[in-house]
Amino acid sequence: MKSINGIQFADMVQMGAHHLFQNADYVDALNVFPVPDGDTGTNMNLSMTSGAKETAAHTHEHIGKTAQALSKGLLMGARGNSGVILSQLFRGFGKSIEQLDVLNAKQFADALNYGVETAYKAVMKPVEGTILTVAKDSARKAVEVSEDVDDIRELMEAIVAEAKKSLDRTPDLLPVLKEVGVVDSGGQGLVFVYEGFLASLKGEALPSKTIGSSMDDLVSAEHHMNVQGFMDTADIEFGFCTEFMVRFEEGKKSFDETAFRNDLSEYGDSLLVISDNEIAKIHIHSETPGEVLTYGQQYGDLIKIKIENMRQQHTEIVGEGYSSQATTKKAEVHPYAIVTVAMGTGVSELLKSLGASAVIEGGQTMNPSTEDIVKAVEAVGAERVLILPNNKNIVMAAEQAAEILGIEAAVVPTKTIPQGMAAILAFNPQATVEENKNNMTEAYAHVKTGQVTFAVRDTSIDGVEIKKDDFMALAEGKIVLSTLL
Amino acid sequence: MSIELKNEFGLIDISQDTVAQIVGGAAIECYGIVGMASKHQIRDGLTDILRKENFTKGVLVRQEKEDLHIDMYIIVSYGTKISEIAYQVQSKVKYTLNKSLGMSVKSVNVYVQGVRVANV
Repeated sequence: MKSINGIQFADMVQMGAHHLFQNADYVDALNVFPVPDGDTGTNMNLSMTSGAKETAAHTHEHIGKTAQALSKGLLMGARGNSGVILSQLFRGFGKSIEQLDVLNAKQFADALNYGVETAYKAVMKPVEGTILTVAKDSARKAVEVSEDVDDIRELMEAIVAEAKKSLDRTPDLLPVLKEVGVVDSGGQGLVFVYEGFLASLKGEALPSKTIGSSMDDLVSAEHHMNVQGFMDTADIEFGFCTEFMVRFEEGKKSFDETAFRNDLSEYGDSLLVISDNEIAKIHIHSETPGEVLTYGQQYGDLIKIKIENMRQQHTEIVGEGYSSQATTKKAEVHPYAIVTVAMGTGVSELLKSLGASAVIEGGQTMNPSTEDIVKAVEAVGAERVLILPNNKNIVMAAEQAAEILGIEAAVVPTKTIPQGMAAILAFNPQATVEENKNNMTEAYAHVKTGQVTFAVRDTSIDGVEIKKDDFMALAEGKIVLSTLL
Repeated sequence: MSIELKNEFGLIDISQDTVAQIVGGAAIECYGIVGMASKHQIRDGLTDILRKENFTKGVLVRQEKEDLHIDMYIIVSYGTKISEIAYQVQSKVKYTLNKSLGMSVKSVNVYVQGVRVANV
């Protein structure tokens, strides 16, 4: 094939759009940059669909005019970063062949290259390792190959091959991709478009979804999302990352992907299923991997089984002792706990004897942080917790802790130790957290607190003259008397 | 004026310049943006596309009570879908500020101050 006209080009565009459409979900899953919101595939697909629609409506024998239609459709329908870039690539492409009736290999390569130049002009600081890089690398290759090759089909093959190679290199250029272990989503979208072009030129059916590598990327992306969600090992609900393949067999249950997915989703989350006529590859996070495998066996032979304990992996990452975490914590769960703050062993023992589950060391001069409180509560391992700060400076930290704990928690804002003691006495293990909070708050409201301390310097507060080394009497936090005995 | 965050350990004070630099840095990575423009075009010169040192002139950070508002003045490339680019800038800026400063922004207002026609 030495040249293509507008009608052939329009068919290429349709195939490209169709191929992208079929794989939009996959592209979505790869989306981690610039904002990991998982919409690249959707956006690119909408952009490309708009381009393809306009092309279909204005297909002309004259390739320049057809390309103009594509350019216009893409521009109007551009969505998302990758969509806008795609529209620029084909705007430049269309601009450079505006006057041409038909396109030969050399002109095709130059047009692609011009598209890349146009696209790069519209950005101040291009980020490499994205769709821009994939477009650039493949266009350069096209120009190089077109020196010797005048068959457009052959040229397009070289372009697709280079685009794929360039896509594989994107993680080396953009650190966030490497971190997550995926290739760039926009770049992948462009590869799908080019693959569609090639399929059209060859007059072949579209390449089917490849089970192997694409599954790995999906799994990485899925794990990435999960890792972000888990702060603590104990939060992992489904502990085993289970991957396996089923080779379908005659006489076994016949495979229906939707039903298969629905059944499997009962066993856990992060479910991924990719299948063709012979095998299905499955990835799932489950607490009962054995049952998942048994289920899979109903359809045929199991091959390539891999099960990993994610709790262990997670604790290794977080760097905390595994055994102490998951096992002992679950062994003794207190339904209800009171966590409070006090300074000194004596007071601490006193509070514990009244029913406090844990006493955090701290007070006026040493306020425990939110983190200290969270840790103390977690160490107790209760389902519901009441936090008594016993100091007005700790109330805020306690409230923050209650918010991030993820279990039922309430703060009874006690400001002194005697208030805390009165509050604990009003605790009722049968009542709800809210009822307890109200009862306990009411109970300490009647408590009057007196404190005795000594002065470290001369001053005058609230009309009371204070001299260094004086003994001071405080009632409800206010100095009422200062004298030397 | 600067942005103040309070936690139980004390105060975190982030200067407006810092926020403006981060906003500007995030914006110029967005596809379709060819520059930042000054918010006082007449005073600072009409044709100037701001350089990195002057990002702050094109980014206005306002704090109203607890809420943070960003106004930014950009120049885009001709032949792009400008509404989409503006939207991308908003989402990128919001995401970047949240990621790097832990701030959530109430609004990101984008003012397109110019279109640059590349010699195509």
